[in-house]
Amino acid sequence: MIMSETQKQKWVGKAVPRKEENRLLRGRGKFADDLKLREMVYLRFVRSPYAHAKIVNIHTSAAEALPGVVAVLTGAEIASQTQPFIEIGPDPCAKIKDYPLAVSKVRYQGEPVAAVVAESAALADDAAELVQVDYEALDPVVDAEDALTDKSILHEEAGTNRIWNGVFEYGDVEQAFKNAAYVVQIKKMHFHRFSSTPLETNVVLAQWDNKDDRIYYWCNNSFPSFAIQFLAAHLGVHIDRIRVETSDIGGSFGIKITSYPQMAVCALASKKAAGRPVKWVETRSEHMTSSAHGNERTFRDTRVALDKNGVITAIASRHIDDCGAYPRYEPLGCVIWSQVFAGVYRFKNARIDFTQAATNKCPVGPNRGYSRMQHLWFLERVVDICAHELKIPADEMRLRNYVRPEEFPYTTPNGCVYDSGNYPKMLEVAKKLIGWDDWKKKQEKARAEGRLIGIGIGTTLDSGTNNFGQSQIVNPGAPFSGNSQGANCKLDIYGEVVVAVGSCPQGQGHETTAAQVVADVLNISPDLITVRTGFDTERNVHTGFSGTYASQFAVSGLSAVHGAAQKLKKEMSRLAAFTLESKEDDVEFGVGQQGPELRANGKSINYWALANIVNVNSAVLPTELHEITLNCRYVWRAPFKVPDKQRKYGNLTLTYASQLHMAVIEVELDTFIPRILDYVAVDDCGTVINPPIVEGQVYGATAHGIGAALMETCVYDAVGNMLTSTFSDYTPITAVNMPKVKYGHIETPSPHSYSGAKGMGEGGAAPIHTISAALQDALFDQGIFIEDSFNNADAIFRAVVGREHGQAANLVKLEKRA
Amino acid sequence: MAIRFNGAFEVKRKPEEVYDFLTDPKKFAPLLPDFQGMTQQDDKHFTVKVNVGISYIKGVAEMKMELAEADRPRRAQYKGQGSVAGGNVSTISSFDLVPAGDGTKVNWEGEAQIFGRLMSVAGGLLEPLGKKNVQKLIDGLQAALK
Repeated sequence: MIMSETQKQKWVGKAVPRKEENRLLRGRGKFADDLKLREMVYLRFVRSPYAHAKIVNIHTSAAEALPGVVAVLTGAEIASQTQPFIEIGPDPCAKIKDYPLAVSKVRYQGEPVAAVVAESAALADDAAELVQVDYEALDPVVDAEDALTDKSILHEEAGTNRIWNGVFEYGDVEQAFKNAAYVVQIKKMHFHRFSSTPLETNVVLAQWDNKDDRIYYWCNNSFPSFAIQFLAAHLGVHIDRIRVETSDIGGSFGIKITSYPQMAVCALASKKAAGRPVKWVETRSEHMTSSAHGNERTFRDTRVALDKNGVITAIASRHIDDCGAYPRYEPLGCVIWSQVFAGVYRFKNARIDFTQAATNKCPVGPNRGYSRMQHLWFLERVVDICAHELKIPADEMRLRNYVRPEEFPYTTPNGCVYDSGNYPKMLEVAKKLIGWDDWKKKQEKARAEGRLIGIGIGTTLDSGTNNFGQSQIVNPGAPFSGNSQGANCKLDIYGEVVVAVGSCPQGQGHETTAAQVVADVLNISPDLITVRTGFDTERNVHTGFSGTYASQFAVSGLSAVHGAAQKLKKEMSRLAAFTLESKEDDVEFGVGQQGPELRANGKSINYWALANIVNVNSAVLPTELHEITLNCRYVWRAPFKVPDKQRKYGNLTLTYASQLHMAVIEVELDTFIPRILDYVAVDDCGTVINPPIVEGQVYGATAHGIGAALMETCVYDAVGNMLTSTFSDYTPITAVNMPKVKYGHIETPSPHSYSGAKGMGEGGAAPIHTISAALQDALFDQGIFIEDSFNNADAIFRAVVGREHGQAANLVKLEKRA
Repeated sequence: MAIRFNGAFEVKRKPEEVYDFLTDPKKFAPLLPDFQGMTQQDDKHFTVKVNVGISYIKGVAEMKMELAEADRPRRAQYKGQGSVAGGNVSTISSFDLVPAGDGTKVNWEGEAQIFGRLMSVAGGLLEPLGKKNVQKLIDGLQAALK
């Protein structure tokens, strides 16, 4: 429940300027590539040009003979001294042997085959080109459905390309179809592969201290507590011997979670280089071909049952997910989508047959909206296609199907508990912001003139703070459940309030929001609070879930900070009560002439004096106060239970922020270029901690979504060549391509967090759903269904040509039974 | 991406002579466009070095060639595999020889499969470049067999 303290919050909810700005905007940020150590050497990967090939020979002697080359590593060498990485999935996934360098075969273009370490980055580049690898090309498989035929198998030890399969079924699906007034069938839809292209690529600096087998990492991995669990088992070292430190990170969006293979190679290279620090800085094209992409997904044979009013009563579908060459964070994506199983809708009966396949493409990884955006796009497509088929306006269709405000907390068919929300209200706000009625009139007039204008709605969810117990739905033997985050709040020797958290901020303003929370607890200004940024295992505040991912800091991170601050406050009160000779309850927190102080009995003691007693003047303390350290660690644990693995049932996420976007798009008749004429983004992340930070993240997520919908796609040819490995081919969105976004928000406080806040930032990929909906609206009268999530001018042109060739005819069928 | 070419030409030489020319690496290899040098491992295997220049990608490609089919005097087929900065190339070149009057008609087919980042950075240029180089090879063959 929301604590009464929220009533007297002074700083939470205020537009406090970001503490980070002073550093970042003046070029004083410290990023992973900024650290240079004495005797540091540079690593370069030799990568496979083939998507699928046997490695016949690797010739390293020419590279090793080049002056300045320190070491060359191959997959065989690494395999001889390490264990394969842990696989999260059960058999056959568990049989896969995944090493950070390819051992006997390569499975995607860009896969590292060897690593060269040299005295300079340029020398390492030159030496890498001297490594000759003999390959024997194998048949590549680049389509997930083709992969499931197992004609060409990626991982022979697994014996199949099928990584995971499971059926998620709830309610009485067949009865719902029997009772339906309408049944809509959609043959195929496809969610495309794209990536999030953080401004800063992956960077690793590793040093293996051979004296005591201790490894130091300075890097920009965004989930280090996950990485060290993989690294310790792989490298055969105690986890306590691995120190990971991060500082400022130039974007991750989940992509940097899966940099642990490169971290492993850098450590092993350092070991081979007699303990010299080894730095690897990923190039942009390396990042595009071989870091991690978002999951590509195909939706087959979808059937939707509706009653006579257009209310969806059941959905049945078959989903095929493409995880690329290695299931590194997978098959978690096979269950994570089910956090939003029902989207924002009320249907109770559903059956999704979910399969994941390996293909000869870059491995996937978490990517802003990970695994859920694909499913939310699917649901929004279903809703819009049904609306058009039944001739129900898109806004009305949603109002008939939304979960209603009075139903919260709402339990979905698979047991997830939506904490709060008001989707009809968001729709109302968005319609007002965009001028819905005006646009409807303009649209009608434009259509009369032969112009193609569509208005689209995308309602989506941003589920935050995972229950890692959902991993047991994909693998009953997985040893994960719940979620936690740690924080430390201390009064330093000179009375400075210092906060440390186990997160890895990448622009989300953790320093600022953490300071706001502590400021409210101690009744001082956030300016008087120092927040240690970045992650450091040796601060000892992290838990096994620490990092920054999955829209959770506002809940897990700030709850931990709040808990630590409360502990510190309690200790300070006890100490002040002793020194001021008062009752603990009478002690007041505030700021006096000598800075932050505690007051009681007409007397006061400032922070320096309190800290002084505990740290350097402790003989004055009575025994009963010896336990006071003014250095308080707190671990917040999410109130989750282990889900029912058989039924695939349980609460998988703690908070559900929601977004509703609207777009007006015109498709140019001659060029098929889609142009955004108007755009609205309405957000509900519960209680807002810092409005500009929330608004900034909404803009960022909107940019990512618009880019993904209209500009960005990872294109592979038939043999697995990635054709979009540079920015000039991939064309990521920039400020120049952004429309003006009208921002609005509502607040439905979450009953599941202490502050009422919900995790946010990923944004549920709302623009992808919205743009598909607007294009559908623009083109439906032309007989075109938007069946793909990527819709640049070329894709729209092909859809139009396809329609002319009758390809769309059997895509959607409406069966009327009423 | 696979690039495929085919064509035919006639020369005033007997099929046996054409076949012997085509299957002699010392005679055949120097006709490859931008040929730089050759090392012969045995009758059927040799390595050639050719200059490559595609857009800003420049370098020397080392092609490992194998005389994969040798059916005197009807058919010869070479398979090649090579690497250049940014990619690998696999090639198959087949020559079918048919007596034509007092000469020979040479029906040829070529396929090049490109792998690697080369495709991403120079994909659009590869097909016209391939055509140009194949034409050079055929012109060279015709000239040598006159």
